[in-house]
Order: sequence, then C-alpha cells, then structure tokens
Amino acid sequence: MKDIIKMIVVLTLICAASGLTLAAVYDVTKGPIEYARLKNVKEPAVKAVLSGYDNDPIKDRIQIPIGKDKKGKPVNLVVFPAKKGGKTFAVAFEGTGSGYGGNIGVMVGINLAKNDITGISIVGHSETPGLGARITETQFTDSFKGKSLAKELKTDQINAISGATFSTKGSVEAVNQARGLLEKYRDKMVQGG
Amino acid sequence: MSVVKEFTKGFWDILPPFRLVLGLCPVLAVTTSAENGAGMGLATTFVLVCSNVLVSLLRKIIPSKVRIAAYIVIIASFVVMVELLMQAYAYPLYQALGIFIPLIVVNCIILGRAEAFAGKNGLAASAADGLGIGLGFTISLFVLGGVREIIGNGTFLGLHVLGTSYEPFVFMVRAPGAFVSLGVMLALINWISARLEARGRKA
Repeated sequence: MKDIIKMIVVLTLICAASGLTLAAVYDVTKGPIEYARLKNVKEPAVKAVLSGYDNDPIKDRIQIPIGKDKKGKPVNLVVFPAKKGGKTFAVAFEGTGSGYGGNIGVMVGINLAKNDITGISIVGHSETPGLGARITETQFTDSFKGKSLAKELKTDQINAISGATFSTKGSVEAVNQARGLLEKYRDKMVQGG
Repeated sequence: MSVVKEFTKGFWDILPPFRLVLGLCPVLAVTTSAENGAGMGLATTFVLVCSNVLVSLLRKIIPSKVRIAAYIVIIASFVVMVELLMQAYAYPLYQALGIFIPLIVVNCIILGRAEAFAGKNGLAASAADGLGIGLGFTISLFVLGGVREIIGNGTFLGLHVLGTSYEPFVFMVRAPGAFVSLGVMLALINWISARLEARGRKA
C-alpha cells in the first residue's frame, strides 16, 4: 500500500512540475512564435506589395477587431503598416474572394495618400493549375498596380485571364473586400502608427 | 577520469546511429542537408542532456515500478520545450524538421540512456554521457546530411561547392538515398573498427 501511494505521489509531482514549466515556457515564447510565423509566412507577400519603407511592418502590425466567428471568438484583421520617418504612408492586409476552387486570399498593398494599389500578391488559393492558378503570375498581379480605389475595382480594369473568369473575379472581389475594410477602418490603420 | 570516458565513448565506442544503430528514424528522414542534420542533432542533444541530468537527480526518488512513465514525462516536457523555442527563434529549421521534433520523445537513444545509464549513475557522469552521445549523434547526422547534400544537391550548408556544371544526383536526398548512404557509412565504420581491432591484437 505504501508503495502505491509513493508511486502516485511521485508521478503526480513530476507531471505537475512538467505542466508548470511548460506553461511558463509557452508564455515566454508565445510572442516570439507569433512574430516568427508572420515573418516567415506573411513577410514575402508584404515585401511584394510594399516598398520604400524603413520600419518592420511585421513588428508594427496592427490588430483591428472586425467581428466574431461562428464560435463567438473575436476575429482580428492584421494590418501591416509601411512607415517612413515614423509616418504610415501605406498599408498591406489581406482580403478574400471566392474563386473557382475555393477562397482566394490576396495581400493588398495600398498607398494611403493616393488611395491606390501599390501591388497585390496572392497568398492562398486552390484554383485549377495552368488556368485559374495563373492568378499568381506577375502578368496578372502587376496589372493591379496603381489602380485607384476611389470606386470598386472592375474586371475590365485589369489583365483578366482568359479561361479563368471565376479566378479573375475572385481576385478582384478580394481586392474590393480589402477596399471595403480600408474605408471602414482607415482611421485605425493610420492611427496605429 | 571516468567522467571523461563517459563523455568520449559517445564519439566512437557507442556512436549512436552507427554502433548502437538506434534512433534511425530521424537519421534517415532529416539528413537531407547538413544544416537539418546538425539542427536535429543539437535538439536531440539538448533533450538528452537535460533528461539525463533530471533522471539522474531523481533516480532515488522515482519508484522503479513507474520509472518508465516518469522518464517519458520528463523527456516529453523537454521535447515540447525545444519545439516551442525552435518555433520562436529558428522557425525555418522548425519547418524543415517538422514532425521529427515531437518524435524525439520516442527516440530510443534518449529513453535508452535514461534507462541504461542515468537511472543508475551520478549527476556528472550522466551529464557527460548525455553530452557525449548527443554530440556523437549530431556529428553523425551532420556528416550524413553533408554527404547527401553534396551529392544530391551540389551544395554544402547551402553553398554551391561543386560548381554549376554539376548535375545533382537527386536520388541521394530522397528516401532511398538515405538507406544507401547510411548503409555505406555503417560498412565504412565497421571496416575501420575491424582494422583497428586487428591492429590492436597484433600489437
């Protein structure tokens, strides 16, 4: 009997100590992990759409609460600001639209003063290879550059991909969604920096 | 003296992948490049040293009937720690090693050393044992990864060493190449040690 109690006590203590230590390590690494994730996953896209900034857009990211998901968890829009001399002159964030094979995620860079697109980069899609997937080609993405966001963007303003109407529309939809977000949250995006 | 011996035995006498032939799963899977090999080796070394030290400290407290469970909890905690730290400070490496980081928990070298050595020996000897075996493991993985990277990709630590005219022998960085290079390496080490033994007998 004494043996059994000793076993239980020792194992419990070891597990408790392990749990405590891991909780502490998790707490310490939580911030750096989020940063490292964004740095490796999002930075290439941010770099593709913004230029001429002297800050670290990943580090200066702004989280804007934009609603709740089905489970009631808050959803944040992550905005990457591009600054020069401490002033935000452009922002990049993601918009989504529905393409042919699923959602298309587009990182959109926007010049705040001119209210136009500095560039877009497709960050996630499941379009048909060789057809819809050509939305990732620069020939397509470059045609968004410099387009004004004063009005909704239309498909005839860009180099639509023949044979991939849905993918083209989905990308434009994603950009327009980003435009909507910009109008709604512009103050917060500028303020954040 | 004995501490030094416990440390150095990991480099040859019981060099993990080649002499003990243990922990082959990560050896085969992650040695596609020298960098991945070294990263995996160092992660394993960290876990091995920490678990050896802790097991050795607790060896008189842990009842022998539940020792394996206790060892696994200790090892698993250190592995999760490595995983979190690697994610935070070496993300590309974390992505390259992927599932093989959590799988260090079931790496037989670590449980093997806890059971066969740290559970019976003092603190200093156990730490030396863990460090020696871990570094031996790291060097093995580094060499194996280096050989496969040079032949299979024409690069070493990401640098082109064989010139642009070299056509990479991709077979070597794929799964079959792992078996072939491990086999060749094993044969080489066995041959060297047989020669050494023969010379020792003569002398």
